Amino acid sequence: MNVALAPARTATPRTNKIEARAGGLLGDCRRAFHAFSELDELAENLRILSLNAELAAGRAGDKGRAVRALTQYTRELVNRLAQIQSEMDALRGRTFAFSSTILLGLQHMTMFERAVDLVGGTGPGARVAERAFAAAMERMVDTLDGMAAAVSELSHRAHAVEEVVSQSDSIATNIAIEAAAAGIHEKEFRTVADTMRRYVDDLRLMIEEASDAVRRAADRGEALRRLGLDSLDELKGFRLTADV
Amino acid sequence: MKCVTLFRQDDHCWQAFGQDPEKPNRIIDTNQYIVRSGDAAILLDPGGIEVFPAMLAAVTREIPVEHIKALFISHQDPDIGSSLPLWRRVCQRDIDIYISWLWESFASHFDRDAAFTTIPDEGMEIALSPSLRLRFLPAHYLHSSGNFNVYDPHARILFSGDIGAALIPRDHPAEGMFVTDFNRHIGYMEGFHRRWMPSTLARDAWIAQVSKLDIDILAPQHGLIFRGDDVKRFLDWFAALEIGSGVAAINR
Repeated sequence: MNVALAPARTATPRTNKIEARAGGLLGDCRRAFHAFSELDELAENLRILSLNAELAAGRAGDKGRAVRALTQYTRELVNRLAQIQSEMDALRGRTFAFSSTILLGLQHMTMFERAVDLVGGTGPGARVAERAFAAAMERMVDTLDGMAAAVSELSHRAHAVEEVVSQSDSIATNIAIEAAAAGIHEKEFRTVADTMRRYVDDLRLMIEEASDAVRRAADRGEALRRLGLDSLDELKGFRLTADV
Repeated sequence: MKCVTLFRQDDHCWQAFGQDPEKPNRIIDTNQYIVRSGDAAILLDPGGIEVFPAMLAAVTREIPVEHIKALFISHQDPDIGSSLPLWRRVCQRDIDIYISWLWESFASHFDRDAAFTTIPDEGMEIALSPSLRLRFLPAHYLHSSGNFNVYDPHARILFSGDIGAALIPRDHPAEGMFVTDFNRHIGYMEGFHRRWMPSTLARDAWIAQVSKLDIDILAPQHGLIFRGDDVKRFLDWFAALEIGSGVAAINR
């Protein structure tokens, strides 16, 4: 009866390095989406404001003609925000799907790396485990590519919201100018312009928080991808040596 | 992880793997088995995902992983089959994976790309090699509703899955992988069998089935392995045990 005890070591430095950076990347993505979480509420507030402004413009007759045009333009911006919001929802779903694939991949890589460590040496067992680790790393790099693309799309959406903010700011300024010449309707139009500026400020804050997270996510995503590619290069070297 | 050879004759061999000293306390200890015949091997209950690294390391010390032609998953529990996607990554693409038809779509939660060969309720026989046939015997409701054992008539070994399982306390670790004091061992398996085994009908049918077999070794998925007279002792003990204890908690 033979009883053999395998040595027990469980270090996983390669996976740990990727895991730590992936954790940062996923955290930044979560922060970016969280920053945009009140976008739909702001868009709805803006829509209601534009309706009220249009009513006020109607009451002002000729003096409200320009404001009426501006409010119609505001509603177009609201529609754009709604469109961005819906694209962002789909993007969030994709990003979280990538996140879960990354987490599962990391779990598999941890197990393969532990096996490499436990087998030790360069025997057939080590080659099998190392090959499996390399294949898992290849899949991880593919997933990271997908994640990087998703972060880049997130960045485009953030820019799109930025444009809406800038245009809304101009509209608020123009309404304030119209208010100055609106006589008895000045107070009403000025309230609209001030409220709009408040929403614009909220949007700007949202953008600042999200852009910071998106920028960091993009940097981390790229660094992580490079790390994955470097590891893959090393592993390809191992595989070539091992297959000789 | 310990590796013990249970049977060897020419190129026909049974090996048990278990009692991994590095396993975290909260993970239940499991036994995995390899049956070999020539260049073909089947891995019985490959284990949970956490066991995989130690198991792969231990197995590859014994055989090239390419020799593993089949995996057998006795039932759906995660300590039995959650390592499936990892084994599929290291084994040949055309590996056969046997599981009860009942659990096919459930086990796909472990590995959605795995293609299973389903075992019908009445069991089946496979040829591991031209010289070795193995029987998958039904053991339904003991404890899983779709559950199989593996019997090797030549080696006279029955892999019994959770039947005969024992939870060995970590502060009283076993010296080997075999039962050496049956009466003391009862203390390690009684609670498990009372609570986990739900059906006396199924238990009685199973005992009637395996009593017809020649069994030198009864190898469970947890705890120690029975050999010689301890096999009969276990069957007698199990036949008389009151099981399904969880029912008492209903409507309490």
